[in-house]
Amino acid sequence: MSLIQLNDVGLRFRVRRFGRISLKEYLLQGVFRRSKQSTFEVQALENIDLTIAEGDRLGIIGHNGAGKSTLLKLLAGIYPPTAGRRQVHGRISALFDIALGFEQEASGWDNIMYRGYLQGETPRSIRAKMQPIADFSELGDFLNMPVRYYSAGMMVRLAFSIATAIEPEILIIDEVLSAGDMAFQSKARERMQTLMSSARAVIVVSHDLHSLELLCDQVLWLDHGKVRLTGPTKEVIAAYKQQVEEGSQRRAA
Amino acid sequence: MTGYVSEIWRLRYFWTALVRNDLRSRYRRSIIGIGWSLLHPIAMTVVLCAVLCPLFRQPVREYAPFLLSGLTLWGFVMAVVTQGCHCFFQGESYIRQHPAPLAIYPLRTTLGAGFHFLLGLAIAIVFVWIVNGMGNVPALLSLIPTLLLLFLVGWSLAVCMGVANVVFQDSQHLIDVVMQILFYVTPILYKTDRLADRPRLAWFVNLNPFAVLLELVRQPLLYGELPSLRAASLGALTGVLAVAAAALALKHFEKRMIFYL
Repeated sequence: MSLIQLNDVGLRFRVRRFGRISLKEYLLQGVFRRSKQSTFEVQALENIDLTIAEGDRLGIIGHNGAGKSTLLKLLAGIYPPTAGRRQVHGRISALFDIALGFEQEASGWDNIMYRGYLQGETPRSIRAKMQPIADFSELGDFLNMPVRYYSAGMMVRLAFSIATAIEPEILIIDEVLSAGDMAFQSKARERMQTLMSSARAVIVVSHDLHSLELLCDQVLWLDHGKVRLTGPTKEVIAAYKQQVEEGSQRRAA
Repeated sequence: MTGYVSEIWRLRYFWTALVRNDLRSRYRRSIIGIGWSLLHPIAMTVVLCAVLCPLFRQPVREYAPFLLSGLTLWGFVMAVVTQGCHCFFQGESYIRQHPAPLAIYPLRTTLGAGFHFLLGLAIAIVFVWIVNGMGNVPALLSLIPTLLLLFLVGWSLAVCMGVANVVFQDSQHLIDVVMQILFYVTPILYKTDRLADRPRLAWFVNLNPFAVLLELVRQPLLYGELPSLRAASLGALTGVLAVAAAALALKHFEKRMIFYL
């Protein structure tokens, strides 16, 4: 049975040239009917068909701006598709922008609680997890301090520790492997591997082709919002590498 | 619809924890802590009493709780409207990461504002009790459905303002002006019977939903009477309209909000 199914999914953003529009502008444009084009559209994703089944380990590759992160957010339910259908059977746990979303005035401990609650924990279930999360982050007494005083690296540590203290069904990851300092990175990598082995399905976006080869059995290559190639990891990565090399040769010539 | 509400309920630990955090961080590093929120309406009442009692020729013991209840309710409305404008920006990082019902972010705003409103209301009740003796208990009990109504209206206002401000960035400036005007056409500082010789103005003021809400609070609190049937039904109508507006706004923008943030 498929856990996630995308049928001919497209996502079209409307981007405003001058930031958000004001009510005043909106009314004036309506009154004077001046066809001043203040918005333009971006086709972020187009004609995506995708089936994630039990046990799948899918990697997504592509250039910057190819729509990888957008696709992940669409899979996770943050963006609704503007065309096509998205069906999900199962609970999705997503790890992206993990350093975002702390209450700056609250302590590390409190933030562990808030994030836990957002991920569906209850006071009873979070109590047992607090200490392991704190231990994994190695932040010690800093956890009593408001998050406002944390360094960027400390925030990443805390966020990663909270976000990965879950029993995921469908796990969606956006390049979190590069989190924190060297020591923490190897720990994070280990944690990711245990998570990925326990999840029923994993979808991961990364530029690290080497680790994708180790982690994934399928790879999807995204190019300008469209699926360029999809198939077994080795083949797709080889094709991708070839295209990248050709590109750099053309630039050198 | 029920699925939406039960999803909000499932995440109750999340938004209650955020409300607690908001209240705590507001009073952190202050010795009298929660006292600040008591001090503000009391100080305003004292000052305005000193100025307006002679002007309106009102006895202090009557005018002070009248003013206090009016200012406290208006404080709540102002808080849900002005803070409601920012509720989705405040929760932006959560919205970007985790699909959850959007209504929990205005709910956070409303519960925080509601806490201060309850404190102010408690002072007014105690004041009336000390000055005029224990009021009419059944009438006071009518405050319970009124509080529920206020909560729903407040939540809906916060939802509508939050959506409006995300879609049109100048909504908050517009609403500032509107609220300033509403403050004077709502009987907060004056009693409506002072408008008896201006029937058209009185009719207009009485139509104001905030005037209706004020009457629902003041009638049992100050005069020990149940609110009039007219006020009760207009209040219920206000509640229904507000919730409907909020539900419509959410239905339209729930999924698309992320594109506007």
